[in-house]
Amino acid sequence: MASRLNIVLAVLAAWAAPVAGSATAGDSVPVATAPELGAARINTLDPAGLPAVKIQDLHYGDVLFHFYARDHFEALVRLSAYREQRHLNPHARDAELLRGGLYLSLGQHREARETFERLLADTTTPAQVRDRAWFYLGKVLYATGHFDQSERALRAVSGGLQIELESERRLLIAQGLMYRGQFDAAIAELDGWQGPDNWTAYGRFNLGVALVRANRAERGHAMLEQVGLLQTTDPELRSLRDKANLALGYALLQAGQPVAARTALDRVRLEGPQANKALLGAGWADAAGGDYQQALVPWVELHGRDLLDAAVQESYLAVPYAYAELSAIGQAVGYYEQAIEAYDAERIRIEESIAAIRSGRLLTAALAADRGARSDWFAQLTSLPDAPESRYLYHLLAGHEFQEGLKSYRSLESMAQNLDGWSTSLGAFSDMLGARASAFAGKLPAADRRLAMVDVADINRRRDELRAQLEAALRDRDTTALATEAERQWLAMLAGVDAELAAHAGDTSFDEAREKARLTRGVLTWNLDAVWKTRVWQAQRAMRELDAVVYDARTRHAGAVKARKGTPERAAALAVRVDAVSPRVTGLAVRVAATKEAQGRRLADIAINELEEQRRRLDEYSVQARYAIATIYDRASSGAP
Amino acid sequence: MRAWIKATAVPAIMLLALATSRAEEQAEQPTPERSALDAEVQGLRREVVDLNRDLFMLEEDLLFPASTQIAVFVSMDVGTFFDLDSVQIRIDGKEVSNYLYTAREREALLRGGVQRIWLGNMKAGEHELVAFFTGQGTHERDYKRGTTLAIDKGVGAKYVELRISDRLRKLQPEFVVKVWE
Repeated sequence: MASRLNIVLAVLAAWAAPVAGSATAGDSVPVATAPELGAARINTLDPAGLPAVKIQDLHYGDVLFHFYARDHFEALVRLSAYREQRHLNPHARDAELLRGGLYLSLGQHREARETFERLLADTTTPAQVRDRAWFYLGKVLYATGHFDQSERALRAVSGGLQIELESERRLLIAQGLMYRGQFDAAIAELDGWQGPDNWTAYGRFNLGVALVRANRAERGHAMLEQVGLLQTTDPELRSLRDKANLALGYALLQAGQPVAARTALDRVRLEGPQANKALLGAGWADAAGGDYQQALVPWVELHGRDLLDAAVQESYLAVPYAYAELSAIGQAVGYYEQAIEAYDAERIRIEESIAAIRSGRLLTAALAADRGARSDWFAQLTSLPDAPESRYLYHLLAGHEFQEGLKSYRSLESMAQNLDGWSTSLGAFSDMLGARASAFAGKLPAADRRLAMVDVADINRRRDELRAQLEAALRDRDTTALATEAERQWLAMLAGVDAELAAHAGDTSFDEAREKARLTRGVLTWNLDAVWKTRVWQAQRAMRELDAVVYDARTRHAGAVKARKGTPERAAALAVRVDAVSPRVTGLAVRVAATKEAQGRRLADIAINELEEQRRRLDEYSVQARYAIATIYDRASSGAP
Repeated sequence: MRAWIKATAVPAIMLLALATSRAEEQAEQPTPERSALDAEVQGLRREVVDLNRDLFMLEEDLLFPASTQIAVFVSMDVGTFFDLDSVQIRIDGKEVSNYLYTAREREALLRGGVQRIWLGNMKAGEHELVAFFTGQGTHERDYKRGTTLAIDKGVGAKYVELRISDRLRKLQPEFVVKVWE
């Protein structure tokens, strides 16, 4: 039974890691289907963490659109471009905070850290933004394993965070303390803490683990029991509940309370990711009470499950062990032989898979299978190819190192596609510039002729003359200056009449004519005077309209001249930019391809190491099974009990 | 019999203890070789982001110079349930965009994102923009609403925001148009 205690200790140790870390630990499901626990929350930038903002520049809204749609790469590119184009000035600090967060979500920890530190170094940054910057800086530092610095940053928050972020901050501090083995400090951080329901459950789980690790088992068990008895339909909390029950079960086994342990382990769902460990533990709990018959129930159930799981492998030895304890020697030998057969068969499959991985099939097939479903660089596998080696993929994906490596590989693949797309576009850009240049050259002679026909200086001079005439008329109150054409004819006619009459000065026979001319002039003068104000207003308005037309003409002319001169200059400047960026695209594509290949090799190494480890373990189990059979036969032949 | 159990327990411990080591891997320092490769991936990613930024601006300058540029944005301000399906935009009678929304994009709009749905060029002078949106409101009621906007395009970029809002009439989402200079 000492062995069982060892198992208990080991499993308990597994659960002693903070809950955020354990998300990628024993689960045999890929991250995509395991949203539970802190890891998912810690490693992603939660859109809900952004405060509501009144959009003052549509471009910032566009960045948010891509961010909220979880297209973080596009959001970061646009944010960087709009920032360069000075579109984001009204939202400068929020945008900077978001930029840091986007770097964080893309795994660019150095850039994220620099961005947050820059914001914090700026003394004009408002307190609310500072709090969020401290928080995200704490997350970056936590993600890179700098727990001391992370704690300092998280504690620098002055209380201005939204409840969700504040809860996450509290848990991050506690988890960092637990990683450093400071369980008492973690307990102090979590004890009595009450946040939103989901966060409180995580807090209690971690508190329970910290208490157990701090040798305060009784309270620790009680805390884990609270989480283990949660009544919930929330898949995230149900998963946490399973983990709590598993941890509690093994902790109770270690404490020598197999009956209570069995109760806790029985609460773990049979189809969840913790089910196999729970079944194994349940058998051990029964065995600890000497009830091997009962222990067979969970162990036989495990026996039929996927042999890749450590608990299932273990059950292949546990079942015959129980039969042997029940003195059912024949069945024990039968099960040992079955175990040897199963281990050998699995070993052959592992060897085939190692060969497939060496030939690059696993990675290619895995990436091809989810290509259609993938929308961003970090999307996870959603389906698996139907190949013999595929059955190991879930197992491999459970490993943090393989997961991270696969993320990087996908990221490199997306980069390669991105660069390939730009390479094609740049070719089109060059063609476009060429086509524009020839079209411009074709239109130039006609445009030049048209431009030459326009004399802006003459238009200006004529307008100025008109203005001077109007001003003189106004100054002298010269009503005749604003006379209509008919009135001008009348005035000219009268001038002629006056000249004729002047030639007959002193001739009284012209007196009547003189009187008529005088009256006519009087009427004309009267009429001109009567409409003077109206005509002045009309003339001034006409002059203003003329000014506007002349201004437009001048502007258009200047624009045309500028375009005539600037278009080739602009095209040349764009061509320089296209030429300058092309080698960058090509150079990066070469480096990305090389790094992708290296990353593929690294992934294959990780996978092969993992599978070889598995094979070694199976070999060892196989030897132990053979040894057990030999021992049974040996004892049978010697007549020993 | 018990002797072998002790022996078998050792690998079991190793297996189960894997969980611990994995859990703590996040805090572990990677090997120098792994570090170098990770650093190279991070460096490349940074360079690709910067390159995309430069190319994004180059593309805009080349295809949509500021003097003729017009951008149409879509935003949402709906207090009640409304499932946006599509937005269609016509400029001077010609369809320039017919956009179908995914669930994520709908969510992004509801959260306050503003989508730049179309970026194009327009000569100076008078133009007509016609926009329609379709979607489903409460009680699975289908909606199609439209708006028309006369645009006086001058020199310099012009930004038009088409906000789908139910502020004016409850449960009746419609376009509210705002022109930004």
